[in-house]
Amino acid sequence: MNDTTQISRGSHVSRIGVIALHAFTQLVRMKVFYFLAVFAVIAIASNFFDLPQHEGPESVGVNVLRSIKSWSLGTMTLFSVVLSIVATALLLPKDVEDRTLYTILAKPVPRIDYLAGKLLGVLLLVFVSLALMDVLMTAVLQIRTSMVLEQQLEMARAMGWPQDAIDSLRVETLAQGPSWSLQGAVFAVFLRASIMASLALLISTFSTSTLFTTIISFLIYFIGHFQADARDVYLQAGQAGEGIFARLASLAFSLVLPDFQNFNVIDAVIEGQAMPLLILGKLTLIGLYYALFFTIASWFIFAEKEF
Amino acid sequence: MAALLAFGAARLPFEAGLAKELRAAGLTPPPMEIGTRDKIGQTSSAVALGGLRTLVATFLNLRAFSFFQEQRWDDVADAFDTIVDLAPRTRYYWETGSWHSAYNAASYYTNDSKLPALRRREAWRASILRGRAFLERGIRNNPTDWSLLAGLGFLLSDSNKTAAFRDPNEAFAAAADAYRHSADTGKALPYVRRAEFYSLARVAGKEKEALALARSLYASPQNRTPTLLILLLVLEAHENPSMDSTRRALELFGTPEKAYEALTGHWQRTRERFPVYGVAAALESLEKTLAIPAEKSIFNQPLQSTASPDDWFQK
Repeated sequence: MNDTTQISRGSHVSRIGVIALHAFTQLVRMKVFYFLAVFAVIAIASNFFDLPQHEGPESVGVNVLRSIKSWSLGTMTLFSVVLSIVATALLLPKDVEDRTLYTILAKPVPRIDYLAGKLLGVLLLVFVSLALMDVLMTAVLQIRTSMVLEQQLEMARAMGWPQDAIDSLRVETLAQGPSWSLQGAVFAVFLRASIMASLALLISTFSTSTLFTTIISFLIYFIGHFQADARDVYLQAGQAGEGIFARLASLAFSLVLPDFQNFNVIDAVIEGQAMPLLILGKLTLIGLYYALFFTIASWFIFAEKEF
Repeated sequence: MAALLAFGAARLPFEAGLAKELRAAGLTPPPMEIGTRDKIGQTSSAVALGGLRTLVATFLNLRAFSFFQEQRWDDVADAFDTIVDLAPRTRYYWETGSWHSAYNAASYYTNDSKLPALRRREAWRASILRGRAFLERGIRNNPTDWSLLAGLGFLLSDSNKTAAFRDPNEAFAAAADAYRHSADTGKALPYVRRAEFYSLARVAGKEKEALALARSLYASPQNRTPTLLILLLVLEAHENPSMDSTRRALELFGTPEKAYEALTGHWQRTRERFPVYGVAAALESLEKTLAIPAEKSIFNQPLQSTASPDDWFQK
C-alpha cells in the first residue's frame, strides 16, 4: 500500500466524519433532545403502576420492574424509529433546499462519502439519545430494584424462609433489574433504528418528497414485522396447500423486505430472560448487512442523480 | 431490483435460521393470533406488531385492573387471554389472570352476587375451573416455571376449592403432580416438596408412595413440620394397622403433651381431607395418660366446619 492510498483513505474517513458531525449538529439544533424530558417523565411515571400482588415475597413489586423496562424500551423504540426515519428523510431535501448540497458536491467529495456522512450523523444522534435514555432507565431501574429487593427480603425473613430460598429470590429479582441483557436489548433497538435509517436514506435518494419517504419507510417498518410469516409460507413448501403464485409472492415479499421479527427478542428481555451474546452478535451482523447494502444501493442511485 | 433480490436471497437462510433459533430458545413469542389482533383494536395491533407487544400488554394489564375493580369478571378473563397472547413468558400475567378467576371471581360469587343459589354455585365452580385452565395453559407455555406449577398445586389442593372439582382424589393427585414438577425444576422453594407430599398423602391408593416420600423428607430436619410428622405416623399406621401409634407419636413428638396437641389439631382438620389412620387410637390412649376429663375429650368437641358449597349456596 503506498502513501497516496493511505492519504486518500484517511481523507475519506475525515470527510465522512466532518459531514456526520455537521448532520449531527444540524439535527441537535432541531431540539430533538427535548424528547429526553418526556422520556424522563415516562420512566418515572412507570414506577407508579405497582398493582396489588397476590402471592408471596417473590411477587412483591416485580411487576413494576417489568413496567419500567416495558415503558422505557417501548419509548426508546418509538423514538429511535421515528427519529431515524424522519431525520434521514429530512436531511437530503433540506440540503437541496438550503443549497448546501450543491456546495458540497461542487467540491471533490465523493457522493458515497456524503451519504455515509449523513447516515452516520443520524445514527450518532440516535445512539447518543438512546445512550442517555439508557442511563436514565438503568438508574431508575437500579433504584427501584433495590427497593423491591429490600421489601422482598424483609417479607421473606419475616416468613422464616431459609437462606438458600432467600438467595434464590435475590437472583430471580435481580434478573428483572438492570442487566447486560437489558443493555443488549437497547443495542438491538439501536440496530433496528439503524436499518430504518439506512432504508429511509435509500428511499430518499429517489423519492420526490420528505412525506413520501416517511410514509413508505413507516409502512416498510410495519410490514417488516410480517416478513417472517411470508418467509415461513415459502419455506414450508406448500404444506398448507398454497399454490405456486402464493409461494412466489411470499418469496418475493421475503426477499425484498427486511425482517424485523428477530428484533422482538427485546420483548423476551423485558420479560426477564437473558439474551445470549451470540444472539446479539448475529443481530449486529444482520444490522450491519442491511445498513451496508442500503447505503451502497443509495449510492448507486444517488451517483446517477443530476442536481 | 436484481440486486435487492440477490441481497434478499443471501440473507434469507441466515435470518430463517436465527428466527428458528430464537423461537426454540423461547426468545421470540409465537405470532399474534388473529383473535388477539381483533380484540386489541387496530391501533394497539399496529403498536404490538411494531415490536411493542409487552408495552401493549402493560396497558391491557392496567385495563384489566379496572375491570377487576368494577368486578367485570368476564372482561377480566378476556383481557388476560389477550395479555398472555402478547406476553406469554411473563409469569405475573398467568398468575394474576388465574388468581382473578379462581379466587376473586369465585369469592364474589360466594358472597356478593345477587344471582340465585344454583346459578351462583355454577358460576363459582366455573370461575375456579377457568382459573385452573388458565394456569395449565400458562404451564404449557412455560413448562419450567416453578412458580406457575406450584400455583396450580396450591389451587388444586386448596380446601376451599376442592368441591369445585368433580373428583377430589383426582384433584389431589394432580396437585401432587404439579408440586412434583415444580420441585423437580430445582428452582422451587423447599416448601414445594413438602406440599407435594401433603397432596399425595390425600390421594386414596397412593399411600405407599406418600409414605416413601414422607420418609425421605423426614431425613432432613428442616422438613420436620408438625403436619409432616403426623402424616408420617398416619401413613405408617395405614401400612401396618397393628402398629402402636401412641408409642410412635411419642417418638415423633417427644412428650405426651406435644403429641396430644398435634394430633388433636389434625383430628379437627376435617376440611382438608387428610387421612387419620391410627390417630383416634393414639388420642384415646394419650387422653388416658394425660387424664383428660371426658367433657374436654377431643371426641366430644365440635369438628371444624366442612364449609362445602352446600353451606355457602343455601340461600
